[in-house]
Amino acid sequence: MHGRPRKASKPEDEAASAAKAVKLRSLQSQFMTYHHEKIYTKEAIELSTKLLEINPEAYTAWNYRKLAVEDSLSRIESDPNSVKSILDEELRVVENALKQNFKSYGAWHHRKWVLSKGHSSTGNELKLLDKFQKLDPRNFHAWNYRRFVVELTNRSEQDELQYTDDMINNNFSNYSAWHNRSVLLSSLLANRVDGFIPEKKIPDEYEIVHQAIFTDPDDQSGWFYHLWLLAQTVNVESPLLTSSWPSHGSSVILSGAGCLIGSPFNVITFCSETGSVPLILYFDQAVGGVSSLTVTIDSELKGNENLVWEPISNKSSQVSCVWVARLKYLISEPCESKEYKVKVRLGNSPGIISSRGFNFSTPYEFVFTAHVHDTAKDSQERIVSWTDGFELWNAQSKDLNSLATSDQLNAGIDLKWRQAAIDSEIECFRLLADSKIGKLTLARLLMASEAMMSDAVVKGVHYEEILQLYNDLMALDSSHHHYYKDEHSVAFLHKVTSSSESLSRYLFRYRGMNNLVCLRLNKLSLSRIASVEKLLFVQMLDLSHNELHSTEGLEAMQLLSCLNLSHNRIRNFSALDSLRHVKQLKVLDVSHNHIGKHSVDTTRYLCSSPLSNSDWSQDDVRRQNPGLVTKYWDAYFVLRDLNLKQLDIAGNEIAGDEFNSFVLQVVPKLVWLNGQKPGN
Amino acid sequence: MEELPILTVSQREQFLVENDVFGIFGYFEASDVSTQRYMLEIQRDKQLDYLMKGFRQLGREFSSLDANRPWLCYWILHSIALLGESVDDELENNAIEFLGRCQGSDGGYGGGPGQLPHLATTYAAVNALVTIGGDKALSSINREKMSCFLRRMKDRSGGFRMHDMGEMDVRACYTAISVASILNIMDDELTRGLGEYILSCQTYEGGIGGEPGSEAHGGNTYCGLATMILINEVDSLNLDSLMNWAVHRQGVEMGFQGRTNKLVDGCYTFWQAAPCVLLQRFYSAHDLVHHGSSHISQGTDKDHEDHHDPEDSDDDDDSDEEDSDEGSVNGHGVHHTSTYINRRMQPVFDSLGLQRYVLLCSKMPDGGFRDKPRKPRDFYHTCYCLSGLSVAQHAWLKDEDTPPLTRDVLGSYSNLLEPVDLLHNVVIDRYNEAIEYFFKAA
Repeated sequence: MHGRPRKASKPEDEAASAAKAVKLRSLQSQFMTYHHEKIYTKEAIELSTKLLEINPEAYTAWNYRKLAVEDSLSRIESDPNSVKSILDEELRVVENALKQNFKSYGAWHHRKWVLSKGHSSTGNELKLLDKFQKLDPRNFHAWNYRRFVVELTNRSEQDELQYTDDMINNNFSNYSAWHNRSVLLSSLLANRVDGFIPEKKIPDEYEIVHQAIFTDPDDQSGWFYHLWLLAQTVNVESPLLTSSWPSHGSSVILSGAGCLIGSPFNVITFCSETGSVPLILYFDQAVGGVSSLTVTIDSELKGNENLVWEPISNKSSQVSCVWVARLKYLISEPCESKEYKVKVRLGNSPGIISSRGFNFSTPYEFVFTAHVHDTAKDSQERIVSWTDGFELWNAQSKDLNSLATSDQLNAGIDLKWRQAAIDSEIECFRLLADSKIGKLTLARLLMASEAMMSDAVVKGVHYEEILQLYNDLMALDSSHHHYYKDEHSVAFLHKVTSSSESLSRYLFRYRGMNNLVCLRLNKLSLSRIASVEKLLFVQMLDLSHNELHSTEGLEAMQLLSCLNLSHNRIRNFSALDSLRHVKQLKVLDVSHNHIGKHSVDTTRYLCSSPLSNSDWSQDDVRRQNPGLVTKYWDAYFVLRDLNLKQLDIAGNEIAGDEFNSFVLQVVPKLVWLNGQKPGN
Repeated sequence: MEELPILTVSQREQFLVENDVFGIFGYFEASDVSTQRYMLEIQRDKQLDYLMKGFRQLGREFSSLDANRPWLCYWILHSIALLGESVDDELENNAIEFLGRCQGSDGGYGGGPGQLPHLATTYAAVNALVTIGGDKALSSINREKMSCFLRRMKDRSGGFRMHDMGEMDVRACYTAISVASILNIMDDELTRGLGEYILSCQTYEGGIGGEPGSEAHGGNTYCGLATMILINEVDSLNLDSLMNWAVHRQGVEMGFQGRTNKLVDGCYTFWQAAPCVLLQRFYSAHDLVHHGSSHISQGTDKDHEDHHDPEDSDDDDDSDEEDSDEGSVNGHGVHHTSTYINRRMQPVFDSLGLQRYVLLCSKMPDGGFRDKPRKPRDFYHTCYCLSGLSVAQHAWLKDEDTPPLTRDVLGSYSNLLEPVDLLHNVVIDRYNEAIEYFFKAA
């Protein structure tokens, strides 16, 4: 695609180029004859040399030479000298061709081909590369070829790292050199080559990149490398369990559908018609392989020996941060209240693997107590109100702590050097915090520092500063306002969930339904959801009066039965797609959003491929009302997978008689629509 | 003049380019309205002149000379189509006949008659023929043989090779899949392992490199993303970081660079803007807008106001939302009811700024477009500057079926170019015709 035509640009060159064209044309037609008749004589080969030296992009000629070389090699048996001279000639032709056009794909590829025949001298190749890399230090053909030579000749990656040192010292704005450095270091660190221990090397790398950034804060290259370094400092290879529900040491009351009289205030009560309760595992990175083979359940609750674990992800992939299984607890015969201990163990047998190929390697177990209650059926369907019935949950922080423990976070990680590296970066970048990129980097460093802190005394000290930095950035750099706004929301939610004290200010119990645990994060200007891993126990969530565009992230909250999203910026039902995974959800308020205001006609992108297999399975609604399904397809796909009893959609463009009746067809079990019983 | 600070090599080059570009912008700002209008004029006649001359030239000299002949056909024909014109029947027939001679007996197209079939030239030839359109052009493509050719180019690792014994990279993957998609010959064999290969080329920056280990690059990012959309695996890319990378390649000149810390180049107007719009449409389809929109440039609002357009009411998706927070029982007033306006979305890059760079810095007064000031024009840059200009003009729309508002098109409305299908870069009408044709052919 970037084979740009090389054309003479000045008129006085035109005569010369015309003459050249005549010469080239006769070369070309003669060459084609040789090629098609498979003539590999010395004369014929020389002709292709001439052609390629003038026009290195004549890839047919490169192929012809490969055939010619094979032909010659087959005829000279294995005289090493002849082999050498044949292959040397190929290298010479490539070099001349590259002098003519050093961006020729065909020429570089031909050289790789010659080298793959086992004919190479690392020294020569590196010398040649040096020449081209001086000519254009950003030439990606040369860099690609360099990586190829290094791999083929087993040249040490340390030597290559030294080369990037030289390139960077020579010109630290050469991002290609920084990029190659990141590729090399990743491999050296991953393979634990001697001396390449992250805690030693990464601090050194920070020193190197400081020289570039502080010499000239306006040059982009160093900042991008710094971003990569920060990721290396924070990221841990093997996946860990961030949190679970139920959490270690907690108690839950499990019962059938309906109401429990006098359910205790400090324990979570979970009711279900199906008699099963979700177990949630939340990992710090997407993993695959969670199954009854890798996760063992020890309990007297029968029928849970072979639990089915499902990844909770909008993608159809088999990896996810969040995995859920449904633990059965409802025993058919009536019984007294009973107490069961449930022990969940994972990591004892291999199989849980991150998408980057690392094993979950630190065994972990957690135990919780399940009190199984039998309930009198209470089929009364009362409307859930978001205005009253709430009591602040002045829970002892002990109860909260057991709900919101971070299970394995930071366990067994060599935190010390990481924290030290980030602390020293923070100190350093406070000096550069007057530029936009300086502020952003500082904010990211402070967030990374918070994520690693385990000491409850100092945890949370950075959030005020982070929030201020993002406020400054919003004012300073309006063109990326949305981005900073999102980051501000993330930081704010991290702050809220950073301690049980701060969290308890937003926690309530809802008297109307078994004292559901309700988190009220309304009127906070949130534009993005975060910290969900610490909120898995929440059953009722009030996010009204924010600036949310989507519910992405909420899919992990498997206990959620009531959700208030009114007065946000939801544009269509596809933005609620993640809720399809929340099987407990009964009450949903999306009133006063922007649904229907922006038409969504993007089906061509969803079905752009002839292979796309969107699940347009036939069902009654579709058969009876194809027109409405087409018109409201986004609502159709989401609503048909939910088990809603109460839905509020008033105050949206889409709301109206036609849509209401469509909703009732898709969700026939709906009891309350926009605050009224349908049919009344 | 005050002493210049010591600059890095990249900064020195950047400084020189900025000097040229802002010199032009300064001259533009200082000019009177009629000069400004003239400077922004796309100069259709001159463009067509340059292109037509080039196309006729193709027929006469250089016959079967270089390995880029189908590319030249495509660059020129597509540029002409973007301007809403076409070449006369005789030239069309010549092109069909010539491309027919480039078609290999075992499928695929080479860079000229007798040359090995090559995926890139195959893509160019197919796109050129689709751009010509009509039974004669479309039926000249041998789909069965093409299908065999694509299979031959498929590597066991999942990627594609450019030609027999040729190099394997993301360009090869895209050109193969684009052709397979247009000709309706896609199948599992072609897509097997391909997503994993492309995924292995996405770098930590977010863009996509030409091969595993390679630096992120605009052309390959377009190729990789379009491939992933076409094979329905786009979800597995890290789209947040890809969007982030692509939008930040737009520099102070408002043109795009191809890689981190490189100079602006007019051709990336297409290679970078198209991924931005593709992602944005994809996001709005899934409404993950809150991620993508993190990078929405609001700088364009100011440009809008400078534009004095009667339609310029505050109907932008973003501006109208700021006030709709509290108590807006019916936050969507009557003035928003037009579906025309509802189809708008704010581009994630500065579209008018991009158009300004292309029209003032890449456009040549005598027709044709170039990389940047002081560079010569050529058909490659003409094709991708015009394609990118079309993408920028239509970036506000969620689909290609509605014309943009006058204020979205920099300069006079006569600058408006035909919309392109973003995944194949052919004019949308011709794309639709081909899709229908090859649907029936299957």
